[in-house]
Amino acid sequence: MSNSEKNILFAMSAAPFWHCGRTITKNSMHYMIALMPAVFMAIWHWGIPALGVMSLSILVAMLTEELFTRVMHRTSTIADGTAAVSGLLLAFLMPANAPYWIVILAAFCAISLGKMAFGGYGANPVNTVLVGWAMVFVSFPVFMDPNSMLLQTDFIDPLVRLKYFGAEALQNASFTTSGLMFGEQIGALGASQILALLVGGLYLLARGVIRWEISLFFLIGVLLVAAILNEVDPSKYASPFFHLMTGSTILCAFFLATEFACAPDRSLGMILFGLTGGALLVIIRTYGVYTDGAPFAVMLANLLCPYFDMIKPKPFGVKK
Amino acid sequence: MRQRFQILNDPRFRLVYDEKRRFFEGPDPATLRLNIEHFKVADGIKKKTRVFPGMLLATHASLDKGDLHSPIYGIVSDINARSIFVDAVKREADDPVLEPRDFLEEGREGEELRWQMKEMGVNMRSLGQKVKTLIINGLNPDPGVTWAESILQTHANNLRHGMELQRRLTRADRIILAVPKGSTVSYDGVDIVYVEPEYPNSVNSVLIREVTGEENPPDIGAVGLHNLWSLGRVGTSGYPLMETVVTVGSATQWKNYIVKNGTSVGQLLTHAKVELNEGDTLLRGGPLRGECLDRLDRSISKGTVGLFVVEAGTVPPMEGHSPCVNCGACVQVCPAHLNPSTLSRYAEFANYNVCFQEHSPLCVECGLCGYVCIARRPVLQYIRLANAKIKQMQEFVYVDTEENASDETTEAKK
Repeated sequence: MSNSEKNILFAMSAAPFWHCGRTITKNSMHYMIALMPAVFMAIWHWGIPALGVMSLSILVAMLTEELFTRVMHRTSTIADGTAAVSGLLLAFLMPANAPYWIVILAAFCAISLGKMAFGGYGANPVNTVLVGWAMVFVSFPVFMDPNSMLLQTDFIDPLVRLKYFGAEALQNASFTTSGLMFGEQIGALGASQILALLVGGLYLLARGVIRWEISLFFLIGVLLVAAILNEVDPSKYASPFFHLMTGSTILCAFFLATEFACAPDRSLGMILFGLTGGALLVIIRTYGVYTDGAPFAVMLANLLCPYFDMIKPKPFGVKK
Repeated sequence: MRQRFQILNDPRFRLVYDEKRRFFEGPDPATLRLNIEHFKVADGIKKKTRVFPGMLLATHASLDKGDLHSPIYGIVSDINARSIFVDAVKREADDPVLEPRDFLEEGREGEELRWQMKEMGVNMRSLGQKVKTLIINGLNPDPGVTWAESILQTHANNLRHGMELQRRLTRADRIILAVPKGSTVSYDGVDIVYVEPEYPNSVNSVLIREVTGEENPPDIGAVGLHNLWSLGRVGTSGYPLMETVVTVGSATQWKNYIVKNGTSVGQLLTHAKVELNEGDTLLRGGPLRGECLDRLDRSISKGTVGLFVVEAGTVPPMEGHSPCVNCGACVQVCPAHLNPSTLSRYAEFANYNVCFQEHSPLCVECGLCGYVCIARRPVLQYIRLANAKIKQMQEFVYVDTEENASDETTEAKK
């Protein structure tokens, strides 16, 4: 049958008519795939309680988003998967046996104040996940401290060791580099699965979901400042690689600092943003009161993002 | 490299397609629909007039726009404000035949030649630019359009004629031919520069930057290979311009056709054996900068470079209101160093003044911003809207009432 005989209804659209195929939903799917190795490692190390925290966090995050879209008379965005990713990332920053009410509170705060209050996905000035995390972390430090929550384990918390016993105590502590990589340390349930997160992060980079400048220079920032301090006094300051393999450094470098809504858009801005975040991480760990400064470092860098965004080239053909 | 790795990893953006086939003949259309908006119908052309190939149908007052000639033997079936319709008929013995002319022999130059070529149907706007250096854009204009290599390699005679006529126009002091890197074409007496054949380098202003190293330099212009081919076509054939080269592209096939001016899109697609289905998107021009068609009786005109079908389901659908999520992909790919994400939002909320302050008129309209948008926003459309509004505001002092009035009457007639 020739075309003219059929009565065809065409889809109208606007140029360009080709598309790279990336959508918000697909990006969320890539995030989920990238986080899966860490999910398995977390369940491997911490068992069913870890699974419970992750499931509850995702559930509450999605329900909160649905609730707020209804209250705000907006079309439902629950299906794009961004809330689920936020929920899972939030769970990654919690101890495996965090009480259920704290998980609910954190997920609710993250989505309501960290995302919907600013108008939804992509409009938030500070990372959605970290808003929720910071609120409960500052309010209930004991429940959010993995070292005080996870008592039935043989692992130790390397950051607590560093903070309260000094860098020399790390030498004769019972952990190995490979052990740390495979998550044999006390820490937040997902954030401590270093190798799994690294694999996931590289997957996101390969898929073009996140920008390599931010991740790479975040890690460089960590290494640089830690190396300088370590050079000054190795007995007092830990080695730079120790900082990479503990706490939530890798999680922040690949999954949190790269959230593009609150990261700069151009190369130079992204490089400076990454360096700032990485440097702040080590500075907070060394001089601050918190053992793991990574999330706070990312939040501070997020707040500086508008200034990094001011670094831009002149428009096409504009001189002066 | 960064862009290729992360955002623009589409092999189709490499504008060299190794197309070696010659051009296919377009359909012999049963009816033609020739656009005559802003044209003046020639004397003696009315309903039932018998026309022959090369017969003048309508003239355009501007030197930039070529006059309109009938491409076939036929009878004018209808004339309205927008179009002339011609029904094809068999050639009869007493039908007049147009004698081909040799324009190089006739030896006109300068303004005289410019008028002559315009009267032969060639759009002279970009060909007749008054600049110091004119760069002929030898790249395929859009990804997916594949005729450039074939024109450069197999239509050498045509191109040589085009360039000779172009030289005799004496509007540009120097003419340069820009071809893809690795191309082996050479023409006597023509300066050739090699350009990385990567979209958006084929967009004229970006091409000028690639060749000269400067952004929007004064006194340098660019003209598409398509236009030069048209000029050369008139030069070699000696007849008025009545056809165009069109890439017809779909999921199943990819071919270049020489199509008669006024052929309807439906006839061309049937001829090319392209099956259409509900929900497909039909577009005229390049896949990144073209325009969407709603009906099969829209026609191919002299400036049409391509006709593409984007099958339903091959790209994520554009779903009305979709807010920007600040992902910054458009900012990264914009060759004009603009910020398409904020420009599109200013345009969305009618802040055209802010768009102007943020340099939206410098947009080169390559369409990459929309190509990478994960929220599927019509970013380029917003910027085009803003620029159109800015132009309106700038011209506000000289309200073109005649133009407005005629537009309204055409609207009313529809």
